[in-house]
Amino acid sequence: MYFPALLYPCILGTLSLVHGIPVHQDSLKNLVKLQADTIILRIKDHNEKLKLSPKLVIGGPELYPEVPADKPLQGLGSIIDTLTTFQKVLQRLPRGHVSQIRNDLSTLLGHLKERMNSMRCTLKEPANEGSLDAFLENNATHHITFGHLALDRLKRFMQKLIANLDLLKSC
Amino acid sequence: MLALLVNFITISQGLAALSPSDGSEGVYEDLKWKAVLCCELPFAQTLDDGLSEHPPVGQCQLLNATKPEFSRNCLDILCWLEGEQTNLICNAKSHRAAAAASLLTVRPQLVVQMNILSDEANHATQCAGEDTAMCSISLHVNDATVSLNISISLNGSIALSPKMQVSTHHLRRPEPPVSLHYDVTTKGEVIFRWSDAQPDSDAISYEIRYSSNSSLQQWEVVKVKSRSWVPLNELSSGIRYMVQVRCQSHINYWSDWSQPFYFTLDVSYIPAEIFTTPGSEVMVYAVFHNRSWSASKAVWMLNGQVKIPESQYRVINEQVSAVTVTVDEPGFDTLMCCHQWGERFKCMIAYAKIYTEGMFNADITCQSRNSEVDTMSCEWSKSAWAQVRLLYRQYTSVCETISEIEGSEEAEENMECPSGAGDHRECTLRNLSLFSCHKIWLEVEGGRGKVRSFPVYVAPIDYVKPSPPSVLEATTLPNKTLSVSWRRPHLPVYDMQYELRIVALRDMANAQWKVIGPLLEPQAEIQLEESCVQFKVEVRCRRLNGSGYWSDWSMSYTSVVYNRKAPEMGPDFWRVIQEDSVRSVTNVTLIIKQPVLAGNPYSCVEGLVIEHQASGIAVWSNETTLAQFHSFQWRKEAHTITVMSRNALGISARNRNMTLLHQPKRQCVRSFSAVANSSCVYLSWSLLSDHPVPQSFVIEWLDLKKDPEKDVSLTERLQWVRVQSASRDLSLCRRFYGSEEFTLYPVFVDGEGEPVRYTATRGDPAAYILLLIIAFLSVVLFVTLLMSQNQMRKLMWKDVPNPNNCSWAKGMDFRQIDTIENLFPHSEGLTACPLLLVSESICEVEIIEKPLPITLEHEKDNEVPIYKSGDQTITDSALLADSSEPLSLEASTAAATPETSGQSSVTYSTVLLSDQPSLLRKQQESLSSSSDEGNFSANNSDISGSFPGGLWDLENHVCSDSANPRHSSSYNSVEEFSETSDQDYEASESTGVAKDLYYLEVNEEEEEEEEEEDEEEIEETQGEQEKNEIVMKVDARPLLEGKNSTAIDSNNVSHSIPLYLPQFRTECINPP
Repeated sequence: MYFPALLYPCILGTLSLVHGIPVHQDSLKNLVKLQADTIILRIKDHNEKLKLSPKLVIGGPELYPEVPADKPLQGLGSIIDTLTTFQKVLQRLPRGHVSQIRNDLSTLLGHLKERMNSMRCTLKEPANEGSLDAFLENNATHHITFGHLALDRLKRFMQKLIANLDLLKSC
Repeated sequence: MLALLVNFITISQGLAALSPSDGSEGVYEDLKWKAVLCCELPFAQTLDDGLSEHPPVGQCQLLNATKPEFSRNCLDILCWLEGEQTNLICNAKSHRAAAAASLLTVRPQLVVQMNILSDEANHATQCAGEDTAMCSISLHVNDATVSLNISISLNGSIALSPKMQVSTHHLRRPEPPVSLHYDVTTKGEVIFRWSDAQPDSDAISYEIRYSSNSSLQQWEVVKVKSRSWVPLNELSSGIRYMVQVRCQSHINYWSDWSQPFYFTLDVSYIPAEIFTTPGSEVMVYAVFHNRSWSASKAVWMLNGQVKIPESQYRVINEQVSAVTVTVDEPGFDTLMCCHQWGERFKCMIAYAKIYTEGMFNADITCQSRNSEVDTMSCEWSKSAWAQVRLLYRQYTSVCETISEIEGSEEAEENMECPSGAGDHRECTLRNLSLFSCHKIWLEVEGGRGKVRSFPVYVAPIDYVKPSPPSVLEATTLPNKTLSVSWRRPHLPVYDMQYELRIVALRDMANAQWKVIGPLLEPQAEIQLEESCVQFKVEVRCRRLNGSGYWSDWSMSYTSVVYNRKAPEMGPDFWRVIQEDSVRSVTNVTLIIKQPVLAGNPYSCVEGLVIEHQASGIAVWSNETTLAQFHSFQWRKEAHTITVMSRNALGISARNRNMTLLHQPKRQCVRSFSAVANSSCVYLSWSLLSDHPVPQSFVIEWLDLKKDPEKDVSLTERLQWVRVQSASRDLSLCRRFYGSEEFTLYPVFVDGEGEPVRYTATRGDPAAYILLLIIAFLSVVLFVTLLMSQNQMRKLMWKDVPNPNNCSWAKGMDFRQIDTIENLFPHSEGLTACPLLLVSESICEVEIIEKPLPITLEHEKDNEVPIYKSGDQTITDSALLADSSEPLSLEASTAAATPETSGQSSVTYSTVLLSDQPSLLRKQQESLSSSSDEGNFSANNSDISGSFPGGLWDLENHVCSDSANPRHSSSYNSVEEFSETSDQDYEASESTGVAKDLYYLEVNEEEEEEEEEEDEEEIEETQGEQEKNEIVMKVDARPLLEGKNSTAIDSNNVSHSIPLYLPQFRTECINPP
């Protein structure tokens, strides 16, 4: 007699919980992978046009820590944090430069932020804003090498993101 | 009653005119001005004498504020800035107020009055109060001097203060320094610099603090006096430093710390930007702040692409490298100083920029579009390192006269590409006039307008790329004509020319487009090689007279084939059945022969309809294009497939069916054999007599030329031909690899019969060559022996007469002798001769050969040469149903003559029945193997040998075809008739079918040589045969038997009579 009365609230509660959980995980993963692959391809094209000597190594991984290099992925929050940094870096390039990559990155960031909101994750405040600004201030005038460094690290981050798409399920 | 009257007067004037003690004894302390004002008042007289008409005036003086004298008529004066330091507050407070209020019998009345005296703003403020007065005045400039007058009024007595001046500059802290930056000298020193916030700052000393720690816990502080720079040589590279500076004014006020300045030292260039002219030398220094980098390992790169030769480097010191370069062309270049890092160069972000003044060639090309909105897109080439702007100017006149107009007032203002040049190297201008001239050029950012490209003058109408033509229509007509029409774009309105390109739809994968044009009308008719072919058609256009671009190709259009009626018959097809063990299904792939498109131009085949009927009930059909394959799954039930040709008017009425049955198949083939060489295979078969005749035969084999490992499916490797039911043999001429397996399928109306397989194998070519070599060596040895024996023979037999010279042979023509009887006409007298076998039939040869001439015809598609007999051509298709007769050769008896030893008719045949495979091999031993035995073998006949000027001419051989001794095998090569292997020989012996053949060889010397050649051929053939095992069929009747015996086995005489031809005429005496 009491069993149905207890069961219904449980079902309703479960349904409400399910409603709050994003249901398109796989589609998001596919979408993110598609966008990341596109960005990687565009970066390769850009570097080919630049025709830098293959012997050049601009900035080692220990240099310029303001631009994320080999930063570990921890979840949606850290991904968005890193991508935001990349977005700021690319925005410092002269107008019209790598504009399509900037657009792609912005769109990807928008999708991830939307997912983050739907998962009710809290986005932490970016750290070391000041040092990033100073880095941009000091180096953006050398936009070719500056952009090359940033794009090279962005490409590696995208590759890592593709390999860790399951992290999109966690905050 | 004490009345205080305080007058504040502010005067705006320069700071420099004042000192902290100017005009008063007040002091500046803690951002405040302080003073003590004491006044002498005629206070007692006033009380005793009562009021007078003129109140007495006392004197006030300022005392040292640091030593206040507490008097009843003294005031403490305090001034400071408030708010955003825009209000000056002054407060005057009587000492009496601090004392007990009860000491005053009468409350004094304090009146404060302030006047602003300024050349710029003459405003004053007054305020009054009892014992205390506080005034506030707003300041309109940062630094001002305020004049302060205070009057004290007490019981009618008045005391006036002297004029006091307060400088607001000293009431505020100094501004922190600004413009923090650093310079690097050519010796590698780092000089940190800053500027005062105010140009007339009185800062006398500075403090610099810097930290490498982001938490800012550890500061390094450097004090500097009287200069705004400091060397910082202890900084490390690769570390981000934050630096702040503050200054101290001469009244010891410290400013706040300046805004932090962040920087990281890696590589510095001196100068960082260079402006030069073409051909001038420039020297650039690079400082490695990383102590582990040595200038001796510096590598200079021009534009990140080219390494500058080391001869242009200079090592200034351990950390500084310099390079000298000369830039010949105007433009923008960069220099990067990197450090050798193994095979690579490690570089930092920074680089030096070189602007070479002048005009560079940017190869600007423009292309315009004339549509609803006219646009023009311009592209250029430039260094990827240069950041450029695209500028243009529009003129109302034509470009030819632009030089006259340039510089005049008619020219419009410079405009810039709205989307920015960026790194796209292209810019699109919109809403422009196609008919006005545009001047377009590039400017390098940072080049001060002096580094720019050569301008181009463009009238957009001359660079229009039109839209492609539309409404394309194409029809393939029966008269082998392709009729095409299209519609030109509306804009631009000038006359157009066109180009048309076509490609046959069936050849799309491999064929190239065929371009036709230029065409002046929007239509064309193209003559074709064949009708019924669908074409993919595209067209483009451009301006007829004048410059412009070709449009893009239009959308593809597939021509429509004009038909008057439906196709008459469907295509022939065969099937491949493949079991899919994984999915437990049976896949059937139909291999469809392409119909002859040019057969009837009024009933072209455009596609196929494949109709299925399973178990006689279910019927369905698939409509396809002209595909070569069609697959479906077969469920092992009776399944009938009909393939029909179709076009827009209908489907074919005469079609071929195929019925797939899973039940056991009937047998009807008795034998199936093949004769093969490198280029042709001759297939023949026979049927069981008591079985119905099939509707047709299908012979299939795998094309070994196609490698199965290269994803060539079985269906693509499978070759097949259909043969009419009346045929029993087939010649296939094409490239064979010697190991093809041929399968013969009898096809009945209600299904297929039991297939028969036959494998034609050939040996390894390498072994074949080896055997050839061995055979050659054997022949050499043989010839050597022969020559030596000839010499012996000459010695031993030189007296032996020519039989033609013999008396018994006089009058005889050996050429005319057909039989032994003719040779020895004495029938009654020769019987006693043991060597002569009178009236015996030596051999019988029957050669049936079709008299029709044989021509070779290569089929166009599959390159299978086939025989053509007479006027009737046998093609693959003809073989299917036509009644053409393939070449047939029937050798009922093989000629057994010495002459045939060179063309041995050895044939092997194998019939493999799938259920009862049997091997039937017939052998007729070649005579060649015994030739030398007959001639020279020591253990053989004592009458062996041949002689110079032998007894018989070659033409006299009885059993040979005198006209053509090789005729019996004239259509076969030596290979085909090579001798069998020992194994085969043994097999033939065991069956008792093969019989040895003896002969008496009579050769002239020249003929010996010929025979030697023949034998050489035979030996080669032997070797080849042993290796290649060419299996041939022979239908030979045994001729001779007994191998080594000269005596005739009486048992065998009845079956076959050994041929024994005399080499010597023996005088036989007839018995009386």
